[in-house]
Formats: sequence, structure tokens, C-alpha cells
Amino acid sequence: MKSLRTLLVLFAICFQLKAQKNIELLKDETGKYTYYEVVLTQVAGDSLMLRMTDFIAKNGKELRMQSKSAMGIIADGKMVIHKSLAIASHPTGEIKYNFNFEKTTNKYRFWLTDFQLVPYSKDRYGNFVPSTTIAAPLEKEVGKSAKEQWEDYKLQVATYATDFADRLKLHLASSGKVTPKPEEKKVISKTW
Amino acid sequence: MKNNIAALSLLLLSTATVAVAQEKASPLEISGSVDTYFKYDFNKSGNIKTYFAGEQNSVSLGMIDLALKKTTGKASFVGELSFGPRGQYESIPDAAGGYSATANGFNIQNLYINYAFSDKFSMAAGYMGTFVGYEVISPAANFNYSTSYLFGSGPFQNAGIKGTYSFSDKVSLMLGLFNEWNQYRASRGVSSVGGQLMVSPVKGWTAYLNGLHGLDGYGNYSTVLDLTTAYQISEKVKIGLNAADLNAGDDKFGYSGVALYPQYAFTSSVALGLRGEYFTYKGISGAPNTSVTSITLSGNIKSGGLTFIPEVRFDNDKDFSQGFLKSDGTTLTKSASQFSLAAVYSF
Repeated sequence: MKSLRTLLVLFAICFQLKAQKNIELLKDETGKYTYYEVVLTQVAGDSLMLRMTDFIAKNGKELRMQSKSAMGIIADGKMVIHKSLAIASHPTGEIKYNFNFEKTTNKYRFWLTDFQLVPYSKDRYGNFVPSTTIAAPLEKEVGKSAKEQWEDYKLQVATYATDFADRLKLHLASSGKVTPKPEEKKVISKTW
Repeated sequence: MKNNIAALSLLLLSTATVAVAQEKASPLEISGSVDTYFKYDFNKSGNIKTYFAGEQNSVSLGMIDLALKKTTGKASFVGELSFGPRGQYESIPDAAGGYSATANGFNIQNLYINYAFSDKFSMAAGYMGTFVGYEVISPAANFNYSTSYLFGSGPFQNAGIKGTYSFSDKVSLMLGLFNEWNQYRASRGVSSVGGQLMVSPVKGWTAYLNGLHGLDGYGNYSTVLDLTTAYQISEKVKIGLNAADLNAGDDKFGYSGVALYPQYAFTSSVALGLRGEYFTYKGISGAPNTSVTSITLSGNIKSGGLTFIPEVRFDNDKDFSQGFLKSDGTTLTKSASQFSLAAVYSF
């Protein structure tokens, strides 16, 4: 009976893992895949802008500021997508996107949109690099042979967007104060 | 029964563990390719050699290529090995430095360590794919399956140390010190100096101006100048160009050539590309130059990691330098033509 309960628990874990994988991107009214979220907050507008700027600066490999106004920020973003094999993975391309952030009293909103794929290919030195400078929108209709791969790209983008949103919300909600480093424990010296 | 349930639970637990582990990106990259092909020469002779696929009416092996890469902070390494004719005696030396078709060994395409001192400056040392030329050994990185005369004449790899500085996304400069071509260790010391200037004047257009002076693969001290450029004009149209000139020894013998690579993509899975090449062998000690012209039409049909490359090729050897034979197998002829169908799988 105990074993059966363990079995059921394990089944539940497996289903949960599968459910986590089934994150979907939604399309906006113009037909573009978009991750959109409105967040209620008690943080003052000025602090929000400072923290948002700090978030972009700390994630420089991922985000590049394009414009900043009193009401919000626009940035270009980039994520790397991977081909996952049973024992290893390697980058297969990058997704470029637009990031928008706007604030108003007691709330802010942000959205990631205009997802564009730039596939990678392996260069002569064994590194994966962009194979073209012309990006393809994620909404592009692809043939039967590429469909499965394209669906995987969408899943990776959705997973990334969810993770990005979690990181951003945490950063904007944090106080931003620098916590002092605990004093380093020194080795006990026997010299006297 | 209890045991069975316990075993099943263990199995499920391992499945769950694997699923969780797969969510995390592995820091070790594993990639590679496998290729095989059929070639038929219309003169029923293995006329067009150009390094690979020199036989006639044969289903043959290319190679299996396995690459590992790992990055830790600012340091990274790449190790890439090849097994099979294309990646062994047809292009890459074995561990002893020879090109034996009968001995198997470790044939290294890339084995180097890179350190990025900053976002702009990095240094690499080891054995690296050459920076000279348009085409490479791995068929997964070429559009055409057969290779050009320019590819076959230039270096394949350079062992040495190099530093690359990126002035911007549009300009970078590489300078390095190298052994002689294609050797794992130097026979006459670090004998070559080389450099590469990369410029990208407009979006989609990248040009590499390469120079290498030192001991070459033919045992001479030579200077090779090379221009390799590609322009992605639109989603469907791409044009590439390679031009090179090598002068060796006091006689200034060597080679020069130019190849043009227009390509058209009908869909993301189907593309057609042409390679037109004019190549000259410079005569030694006052001997006349000899030239070859080659036209190659290739298709690329992709499905996932698999690419089919049907290809027809016509070569004209007006000076009989290549020894093309008619179908009788003995009479020399100026022209040769072939059909090949290659399958290349990348992972």
C-alpha cells in the first residue's frame, strides 16, 4: 500500500513536470506572439524606474536599452535557444525581441514581443554563430519538415519569457538596498 | 509484486530526475556531422578529384565529425575529431603527421583553448581551422558537396597562437604566429605570421581580408593573400566570393583563383546554389601557367538535421593539367563532368 502511494506521488511529479513544459505563448491583437503582464505594486514610480534601469544594466548580455522616458523603457533583448539531446545540448540559434516597460500609479506593465529567430550554424572553429543576418519572425508559417523544430523554439521562448518575468518582478519588488557582507571568518591563529 | 512496484517506482524516479536534469542547460556542447555520398563520373573515370570524392560510380563515406566545446567563465576549449576518408588521409594528418589511407588514427580538425580577456579582445592557442578561404573540410558548413580548386590548394588548418581584437561589430583584426600549414607540430619552428581583417560595411555583408606568410604545405616559404566575402542580400538571395593568390619561392610560382557563389533559397528547406571558379597554377621556373574552369550546380534539401545535396559539376581543363580521361580510360580530354548525391546529417 505504501509502495502504491509512492507510485502515485511519482506519477503526480511526472505530470507536473510535463505540465511545466507546456507553457504557451499567446498572440496579441496584431497576431504577434507576446508575453504581457500587469503587476500591482507599492513601490514608488521613481524607484521602479531606477530598479528597471539597474535590471537592464545587470543583464547586459540579454538586454540593451533603446529609449527611456518618464513613463517607461524600451529595450532590445536576445536569448539563445538550444537543441537538447539526451546527454548534451548546443546552441541552435538566438531569438531577438523587443522589451517594453511602462509604469503608472501603483502598477506597472511589461511585455516581450516581436520575437525573431536567427539560426546558428557551426563555423570553421567549431563555434555556433549566426548563419544569416536576416531574422525570421516566430509567427512565420513553416513547412512540415521544420514544424516540430519551430514548435520547440516557441516552447523555449515561452519558458524563457516566464523565467524572465519572474526575475524582473523579483528585482522590481526588492528593496535594492545592498546587504552588508558578513564578516569573513578568519583561521584561528596560534601565534601569541 | 512489492518488488515490481518498487522497481517501477525507481524507474519513474529516475525518469523524473532525468526530466529535471534536462531543464538545465549542459555546459558541455556536443555537436558533429556524418556524411555519405554517391558519385558518378560521366566519363566513367574518377576525373574530378578536388581533394574529396575522387572515385567513380561508388557509394562512399565522407566522415564522422565529433566536436566538444566547453566554456568556463572567460576560458573555453574546442576539441573536434574526424574519422573517415574526408576527415582523415584526404585532408587531415594522423597522429604521426602522415596521410596514410591504411592507418587509422586521431585526426584533429580543431583543438584549441580560447581566453576572452574582455568583450573586445581574446586569444586562442592550439590547432585551428584555417582562417584562409571560403570553403571548409566539414560538408555541413559548405553549400556545395564537392570542393573548389582554391580550397584544395590553400591551407586547411593552422597551429599557432592568435589574438583577435574587435573594434566594433563591424571591424575586427586578428594577428597570429603559426607553424607550417596543416601540421600538429612545427618542423622548422614557428615559421609563419598571419592576419585577418574583418569588415562588415552594411548589414548582411561581411568581408575577410586574409594574409599568411611563412612555410606552406608544399615545403616553400610563401605568401598567400585571400579575400573571402559573403553578402546576404535578402532572405532568399546570397552571394559569396573567394579570391586568392599565392606566391612561393624565388620563382614566384604558386596559384591564383577566383570563385563566385550565388545562392537562391526557394523556401527555408530548399535552396539552389552555383559555384563558378577560374583557377590558375603558376608555372615553376618559367614554365607556362595552366588554368581550370569549373561550374558546379548544387541543391540543398533540408529536413531537420538532414541535408541532401544533389550536384552536377562540369570542369574544363584546357591545358591538360588535371589528367582528365575519356571513357576509354586512356585518352586525355579537356572536359570532365560528374553527378553526385550526398547526404549530410548534422547534430
